[in-house]
Amino acid sequence: MQETIFSLLDVERVYTLGTTGWFRRKTRQLKALDGIRLELKHGDTLALVGESGSGKSTLIRLMLGLEPASDGRVLYGQHDLAHLDAEARKRFAREVAFIYQNARGSMNPRMRIADILAEPVRLHRLCEEQAIPARVEALIARVGLPAGLLQRFPGELSGGQVRRIAIARALAAEPNVIMADESVAGLDVSVQAQVLNLLRDLCRESGITLVFITHDLGVASYLCEKIAVLYLGRIVEQGPTHDILSTPRHPYTKALLQAFPRFDAPLCASLKGEIPSPVNLPKGCRFAGRCAQVQSACLEVDPPLTLLTPERQVACLFPVVNPC
Amino acid sequence: MNQVSVLAQNIPVESHAEASLLEVRDFSLRRKKATVLDRITLSLSPGETLGLIGESGAGKSTLAMALIGLLRAPEVEIEGSLRFRGTELTALKEADFRRLRGNKIGLIFQDATAALNPCFTVGKQIAEPLRRHLGLSASACRARAVELMQSVGIPEPRLRLDAYPHELSGGMQQRIMIAIALACNPELLLADEPTSALDVTIQAQIMELILDRVRALNSSAIFVLHDLALGAQVCDRIAVMYAGQIVEEGPSERVLNAPLHPYTQGLKSCVVELGMPTLTPIPGQIPPLDAMPNGCRFAPRCPKAQAICGEQRPETQTRDGRQVACWFID
Repeated sequence: MQETIFSLLDVERVYTLGTTGWFRRKTRQLKALDGIRLELKHGDTLALVGESGSGKSTLIRLMLGLEPASDGRVLYGQHDLAHLDAEARKRFAREVAFIYQNARGSMNPRMRIADILAEPVRLHRLCEEQAIPARVEALIARVGLPAGLLQRFPGELSGGQVRRIAIARALAAEPNVIMADESVAGLDVSVQAQVLNLLRDLCRESGITLVFITHDLGVASYLCEKIAVLYLGRIVEQGPTHDILSTPRHPYTKALLQAFPRFDAPLCASLKGEIPSPVNLPKGCRFAGRCAQVQSACLEVDPPLTLLTPERQVACLFPVVNPC
Repeated sequence: MNQVSVLAQNIPVESHAEASLLEVRDFSLRRKKATVLDRITLSLSPGETLGLIGESGAGKSTLAMALIGLLRAPEVEIEGSLRFRGTELTALKEADFRRLRGNKIGLIFQDATAALNPCFTVGKQIAEPLRRHLGLSASACRARAVELMQSVGIPEPRLRLDAYPHELSGGMQQRIMIAIALACNPELLLADEPTSALDVTIQAQIMELILDRVRALNSSAIFVLHDLALGAQVCDRIAVMYAGQIVEEGPSERVLNAPLHPYTQGLKSCVVELGMPTLTPIPGQIPPLDAMPNGCRFAPRCPKAQAICGEQRPETQTRDGRQVACWFID
């Protein structure tokens, strides 16, 4: 049995928006995440998929301990992220690396690439000061870039190169887990393919656990063995990538699959409307307003995430029987 | 039909005999001695949709900017001809171009948030081309703006008319852009990456909307895209661009399902499809503009390159119903 790295137990994240009403007594609440249950084992590769506003980034911020959960617990191994002591916090920072969505923005424009890559190594005292240059060279070689770039500044590199440097920096502290937020969005197809291959090889070679946020099901299916589909702060479907792609059981997953551009199928605007505001959530199923097969029960009952098979969970009262 | 006469009054129309709406012939564009666009030849019939596809730096957007006269002499050096409904665009005066832009040629930019003016309500922005090109009164503008917003699927258009762009979601802002672009019933619509900032579900909605409107107006459209599969879904014809040249051009199902040019083949093998086992990226990147190879510009990255590719530029030849520029077509 593989060791569990992360477990999320009914995690909730509520943001309080400005006060309104008589004497400002009412507060409005935005539920970004609601009842998330997730388990991540060593060596897993998990993709979090959903439209903007579905809570993917909030979820990853909670898993990184950047924000506290409003309710429920985020466990890293046996430890609750909310109660880590300074020592454990530092170890967590070394073992769990994050690749930011805006790779260029996540780097100090006045630091040379060599210093950017050396920073985590120095911070965690992973080797002697004299050994750092060799280590930095090994890192940049690992992401397939020439050592000549080390003396450049982030602004001098192309979009694809900056993403690779971000990956190299994430690898610098030899993490067990890498979390990446839309790391290939906005790249040209050929550069995107290079970065995807790099990430996939790294995970396969070093057994790194990967949590990858993407809105692109194709990217998710290429990198990850498991997919969790989020909608309005809930996981609506979760399971092995292959099963989800071949037999989506939640109407939202099915609609996402149909909207994905392909060579062999006509354009299909499978979903009407947009993701509603998480401030005033509907009473029943959150997806009911956009669902193609909505029934009266859906407007009343909020479906829980239930097991279909030991590996497969879906939150729908009437799971899709005939796939696409 | 009064809109056609607006144009006819102002711009000398040389001939109406040509069947194509847009005719680009041997069009080159140079900037500081670097050839940004190199002998582009294209034509577009009325009602046709064309996709310009390629990596960043291929010149797709530059071509689109040149077509609408946003890149003109003397800032750049221009050679060859661009004819729109028989009018030579390269010879047009700026004032005449202004009557065309937003009127007969509509534009949709990639980033709606940046393209819309944050200081004006969306109603005002939709009304601007109506007032400027069609000379509608304020109340007529408002009524037409509501109609347009309805036609692009904005719920409760009367309420949204006085909204500022930041009050709308990304998808709604893109819909407003489409309403502005289609305000004067353009004959040609240029859409530069209209959906790359949007979710797939919204992308499908927006693309369906653009196609639907374009068909309803019987206009032609040029899409600048980087997503090949999306190109296959929305375009009748595809022109694959590389380093300022068109390397392959033809009906989209042929070009994308059975590509002949090694670059198109390479691009296709990079596209992530659902459940795909491997991706084969094209090695290297587009050479910088000031260091373009003499022969075929793709030669340094091409798996099939031979001695002649490095020396001589391949002439465009017709093969299997499309134009291909390569020395070695299987």
